[in-house]
Order: sequence, then C-alpha cells, then structure tokens
Amino acid sequence: MIVADGVSKWFGDVVAVSDVSFRVGPGVTALLGPNGAGKSTMLRLLCGLTRPSQGTVKVLGEDPHGDPELYRRIGLVPQQEAVFGTLTARRFVRLAAELQGLDGPDVAAAEALRGVELDPEDRRPLVTYSKGMRQRVKVAQALVHGPEVVLLDEPLEGLDPRQRLHLINLFRRLGDEGRCVIVSSHVLDEVERFGSRVLVIAQGRLAAEGDFHEIRNLMDDRPNRLRLRTDRPRELAAALVVSGAIVGVQVQDDVLLVDTTDVGAFRRAVAPAAKATGARLHELVPLDDDLESVFRYLVARQ
Amino acid sequence: MKALYRLFLSTQVTKGRLIGLLTLGAVALVLGFSIGTNAAADAIDDGTILISAFGLGLFVPVATLVFASSVLGDPNEDGTLVYLWLRPIARWRIVAAALAATLTVTLPVVVVPMVAAAALTGAGAPLVEGTLIACVLATVAYAGVFTWLGLRVKRALVWGLAYILIWEGFVAGAGANPSRLAIRANARSLLTRISGGPHRLIEVSAPTAIALPLIAAAVAVVLTVRRLTRQDVA
Repeated sequence: MIVADGVSKWFGDVVAVSDVSFRVGPGVTALLGPNGAGKSTMLRLLCGLTRPSQGTVKVLGEDPHGDPELYRRIGLVPQQEAVFGTLTARRFVRLAAELQGLDGPDVAAAEALRGVELDPEDRRPLVTYSKGMRQRVKVAQALVHGPEVVLLDEPLEGLDPRQRLHLINLFRRLGDEGRCVIVSSHVLDEVERFGSRVLVIAQGRLAAEGDFHEIRNLMDDRPNRLRLRTDRPRELAAALVVSGAIVGVQVQDDVLLVDTTDVGAFRRAVAPAAKATGARLHELVPLDDDLESVFRYLVARQ
Repeated sequence: MKALYRLFLSTQVTKGRLIGLLTLGAVALVLGFSIGTNAAADAIDDGTILISAFGLGLFVPVATLVFASSVLGDPNEDGTLVYLWLRPIARWRIVAAALAATLTVTLPVVVVPMVAAAALTGAGAPLVEGTLIACVLATVAYAGVFTWLGLRVKRALVWGLAYILIWEGFVAGAGANPSRLAIRANARSLLTRISGGPHRLIEVSAPTAIALPLIAAAVAVVLTVRRLTRQDVA
C-alpha cells in the first residue's frame, strides 16, 4: 500500500531523511526512532505534505503530493498540538467530515468521537481541552472518513495508560480490518504493545526493519558496555575474562570498562569474581543502556 | 466550501481586532463630522482628501492587512493548515473561501464607517458614491495581495505594513506613471473623479483605475493558489 524508494529529504544543509526504502502493507507498522530521527519528516513525505528531495513515494499507487483526491483515502494525526481552538470537538471533527465530502458529517463526527472515548455533546472549545483529549480529537478527525491508510505521528503522547491501551487496541483493530496503519513512536515499550512490524529510523536512515521481536533480539544482542570501579581492577578484570562473561575489558586506574553481549551472565558473574579476588566493588554503571545508544548501534552495524 | 468559509469567518473575527479597527472607523467619523461642521471648509475637496488620506492611505489597507494576512497565514504558521490541506478539495476552493471570509469581515468594517464619514462631510452623494466604489475596489485588491503575502512570508503583518508605508506610500505619490502600480493611487483617482475633488489627485484614467487593482487581485489569487499547491505544509 505504501512504497518508499530511495527517499531522501533535506532542508538546506540539514539531511532529515537519507536514502530510505521500504514497503508497507495492511496492518499496523510502527515507525520507531529517537526524537529528531526523521520520523515526522517521513510521515509528512508519506502523506504528501512535503516532497522528497530525491527518490519516490507511492501511496496506494499514487504520488501523494499534488493529488487531493488521494486524501479521501488517507488519514493523518499530525505531531503538532495546534487545533482550531475556538471550535468544539464535534465541530472540528465535523469540519473534517464535511471536507472529506461525507454524507451525514455530523453523525460521522459524533461516532468518531465516541470511538476515541470523547463526548460528542461536550460544548467546551478545544482550547480548554487537555493534551490527551486534544490528541484523541486529532485521532477522531483522522479516522472520521474511514481511510485505507492511517498515519499517526506520536499519537499516544499525553495520554494516560488507560487511554493508551484503548487507542492501541483501536489501531490494532484498524490493522486487522486490512487498513495500512503507520504509528510513529520513540518509546520502545509502546511499540512492543502494537505487536507489529517495525521500521527503525535513526539519524534519518532506516536502521532496521522487520518483526518487532527480531528487532528486539537484535537490540538485546548488541554488546553492552559497563563501567566498574574497584580497588583491585587488574585482578577483577582477569577473573571476569576467565569467567567468560565479558568479551572485552579496558583497565584505567581503578576503573574497568567491560564489554559484554550478555548482561545477565555478567551480572551473575561479577559478584563471585569480586569475592574470589577479594575486590571491593564501588560502582557498576551501564554506559549505553538508553534507547539512543540502541539506535546508534543499529545505524553503525548497517 | 461553505464549511471552509464558516471556519475562516470564525477564526477571523476576534474581539481585539474588531475593537482596534472599529476605533479607527470611529476616528474617520469624527474627522468627517469635523469637516461637515466647519463652515469655512470646502466639503468636496476636504472630504475627498480625508477619504483619500485616512481611508485609502491608512484604514482600508491596514484593516484588510489584519484580516487577509492572517486568514491563511495563521493556519500556515501554527500548523492547523494541515487539517484543510490534507482533504480532497481543490486548492482554489480553499483560497476562494479564505478571500470570501476576508471580504465578508473587512468590507463592513471599512466601508460602512468610511461611507458614513463621507456623508458626514456634507459633500453630497458624489463623495459618498466615490467612497463606496473606491473603498470596495481597494479592499478587494488588498485582500488578494495580503492573502498571498500571509501565505508567502512569516510575520506578514510587519511585511504588509512595510509594503503599505514604502510601496503604497511612495509609489502612489511618485507621479502619474509609477503611481499606477500602487493600489492606493488607482483607488484615489477613481474616488476623485467621482467626487469632483481636487484634480491633482487624479493620476490614472478611470478604466485603468478600475482594471489595475482588479488585475492585481487576480494575479495575487493565482499566486496564492499556486503557493498553496506547491508549498510544504508543516
């Protein structure tokens, strides 16, 4: 349903997306990456809000830029929070329904709002809504016309856990109905709950793609570096090497920098090794346990 | 298009804007009244100069700038344009709805006080008619130009004021040929021809004075549609 072929996008000297190619079919696909990785630019390219500097994007076989008719079949939840603040939720979603040319836009708007657990009879203007409520209104306006392709840019931001679960189930249901749903997120655990195919984007490049569990294993298999401070660094380093729990070690004064591909095995080995060598452990800190480093690793191994 | 028109209308009319512009309108009424009650004044000449200087030189362009530059400029800057752009509607319809909403708000705000001010000068029907026609013509032309400007640049209000002061201000007073390029000079010429005001204010023939502002508006509308079709949307 969506094909990106060698897509690059740059703004002046800044490369936002670099030579990205993928195909996405029906079902939920998560676009995972750290903040500033190029996810939003990629989604904007997919719905034609901006044109690629290089490469091509096809959505349902069409170039999404410059063909308004295609927007009958696309729904977007943009990243920006801004909505028409003076309108009520119902009027905002009805506007979307009217512009999509639906018959009975008011009924469709009410139904879409109920679908995201909002009250269509709420008379308050959107400017008074919380971030989470506005986020759900944005989802309702994207879904009101029943699009075949749904693009959601960080749609779960600002939602409480119950609302998150509700929307995740909604997206999965849309995917099960055969719609192409692309959800961007920078939260790994969030993506895990989609139980979906994943495109990992980092530094504007496609770092990995495939089933979430494959990606997760890939991430878990990467070497981890830890910093360990002890009063007997050389003895402890030797003991750890002998234990087989580490694949590399550097000694710097009282600090050991150890590399391991199995953090669990290392954790199990470090205390017995310290006891056996009579070393005191002053500090044990993982150095690259954050998501950013996972993405960096994935980019580097490409 | 009705839905778009209603939306633009609702986003255009804010209390602050209306109070500011109605105050300017009240100033026009006071000035008109002062001419009308001054026995020594030449009502036709002074009335024409008032409408030309205050109305066509300041009130009409500034009021139109306020509404027209924001109608597409604000959604473009705050990111809400995406909710209109990503719909299966022709771009010209968005622009047409924006222009229609701008004119719906701007015309009463500027034309009513200016026509009333013209009536208060006591110069008679020709000045009232001239004011009506010149103000409507100038408002339509400025609406086109400033709608395009709002979409084209950030801080369109500042750019628009600079345009009014520099281009419209200087060019309109730079002699017969250059002044054709200023909307203000064309509207002023038309006003003066109809009102019978001072001849020095007539720099452009009547057909030209009508045609050029309308051409400017049409060109601006084409550029706005083109811009909306081609630009990146945030």
